[in-house]
Amino acid sequence: MLSNLNLAKSDTFFWDEKRGVIRTRKGGWIPGEAVYCHGFDMMENLVGQASYFQVLVLNATGRLPERRLADWLEAYFVCNSYPDARIWCNQVGSLFGTMRATPVSAISAGILASDSKMYGPGTIKAGVKFFVDAVAKKRGGISVEEIVLSCQRGPRAKPVILGYARPVANGDERIEAMERVTKKLGFEHGEHLSLAFDIEKIMLEKTKEQMNALAYVLPFLCDQGFSVQEIYCLLAALVYAGVIACYAEAADQPPESFFPLHCEDIDYQGKPPRPVPA
Amino acid sequence: MTTRKNQVRKRDMSFANRTMTKIWQEIPSEQNPYLAEACRCHGYDILELAQKRSFSEVLFLLFQGELPTPEQARMLEFLFVSMINPGPRHPATRAAMNAGVGKTTPAHILPIGLNALGSEYLGGQEVEAAIRFFRKNLRDSPNALVAECLKGERPHKGDWHIVPGFGSRFGEIDPMPLKIIALLRTKGSGQAISWGCSFAEALKPYGMGWLSTGVVAAVLSDLGFLPQTGAGLFQLICAPGILAHGLELTNKPISAMPFLDEEHYVIEPESRKK
Repeated sequence: MLSNLNLAKSDTFFWDEKRGVIRTRKGGWIPGEAVYCHGFDMMENLVGQASYFQVLVLNATGRLPERRLADWLEAYFVCNSYPDARIWCNQVGSLFGTMRATPVSAISAGILASDSKMYGPGTIKAGVKFFVDAVAKKRGGISVEEIVLSCQRGPRAKPVILGYARPVANGDERIEAMERVTKKLGFEHGEHLSLAFDIEKIMLEKTKEQMNALAYVLPFLCDQGFSVQEIYCLLAALVYAGVIACYAEAADQPPESFFPLHCEDIDYQGKPPRPVPA
Repeated sequence: MTTRKNQVRKRDMSFANRTMTKIWQEIPSEQNPYLAEACRCHGYDILELAQKRSFSEVLFLLFQGELPTPEQARMLEFLFVSMINPGPRHPATRAAMNAGVGKTTPAHILPIGLNALGSEYLGGQEVEAAIRFFRKNLRDSPNALVAECLKGERPHKGDWHIVPGFGSRFGEIDPMPLKIIALLRTKGSGQAISWGCSFAEALKPYGMGWLSTGVVAAVLSDLGFLPQTGAGLFQLICAPGILAHGLELTNKPISAMPFLDEEHYVIEPESRKK
């Protein structure tokens, strides 16, 4: 809620009301009574009945999803569990392993590393915005080609759209895998996802770039009614399993033996030796 | 059959064989190429720097490639001391304190607090945005810009950061950043600090002024630091206070911090049971 007040009030009532108390619609633990979670008794209604991913969605959004949606989400987490130590966030896990950091710090750091503008959860805000805006434009009568061309950074430049370029490779094996899951679980392509595929056709013509998993998953989740912030929360720990694989392997080896570097393996291009001025 | 899987192609990209740096040179030991015999920071031997220069001077050197002038060094030193501790009520410090009293591994305390301090609101990301704000607007009239910004929508509740680094804190102008900036001006302020003071003065009738993030951004901007250094340097500046508060609680019982009783942890009725 926003208003157009020009003068600031200096009273502190807004904060005074919240001082010394936590009010929540999420839930909490009443010892000897129950652990409440969005209206559910966690031990009675959720444990053994709802999947972990259902509870994850419940806690992030306040809504308990049907099991198949939670299963779909879990499948996408599996899709992002590459145990490849060359991937930036995973190598963070390896380096933590070789330093004998705790697995918790390795996972936290790996997830932080994936909060990136290039890949991982850090791309979600801009990605969702693009697809939500694109659907609005299409509903307003703008053609898919015009939507794509509006993403050119110059009159002769190729259009650049998040979700239609992938670091290291062109194309994405995860889309085919997730399409199988989507069909198996009985989901249809909604308005956002259908548009994402239409955009891919134009992008292929103009740039030869295929869609990547982001351009599949974000529109799918938009079609399921999630907001951008909800999607960011749901996918925050996406790379967790890949990071832990790389951490575990490095932690099993002698310390500092993961991908060690000679001094000369760093290419120094700075200033030559000089004395410190007095 | 053509599938998406077999249409995936590795790009024809060339990656560096060796990682490049202009910051640090390690001279290998003759006996063991993994060990450094000497280390140089932008050409200066680190041990010579350790003997002749202060921490803040070498910090400046690390990021800018040259040692600071005496005036620049004083400004940076003043910033580091005046902002050394966000205080025990700041959410980032409280995150560290919660972790401390919760008996986390002590090594985790600082990263926890600093992650919170990397945030968009009163955190490192606001410092970065504020440096960009200064760079973009230093040639504009502060009064005209305030008038323009006031046309924006003010949040109905809570504080308003009308632009990054400026706004209200708990409904008022925060006095501490104001005092810090006043002292900084006596040390010779640059363009961002001077312009920011005019901007803050124009905001004063509306109950807004300098925020701590704005002060840090103005100093860093005047010292020539790039916007992308803002978040991390703000974390570095505030790190000692955050760590000290977190560690202060690690050896105390869990009862040393509030754990609200049910009267003060209010679960809304609809959330208790469907």
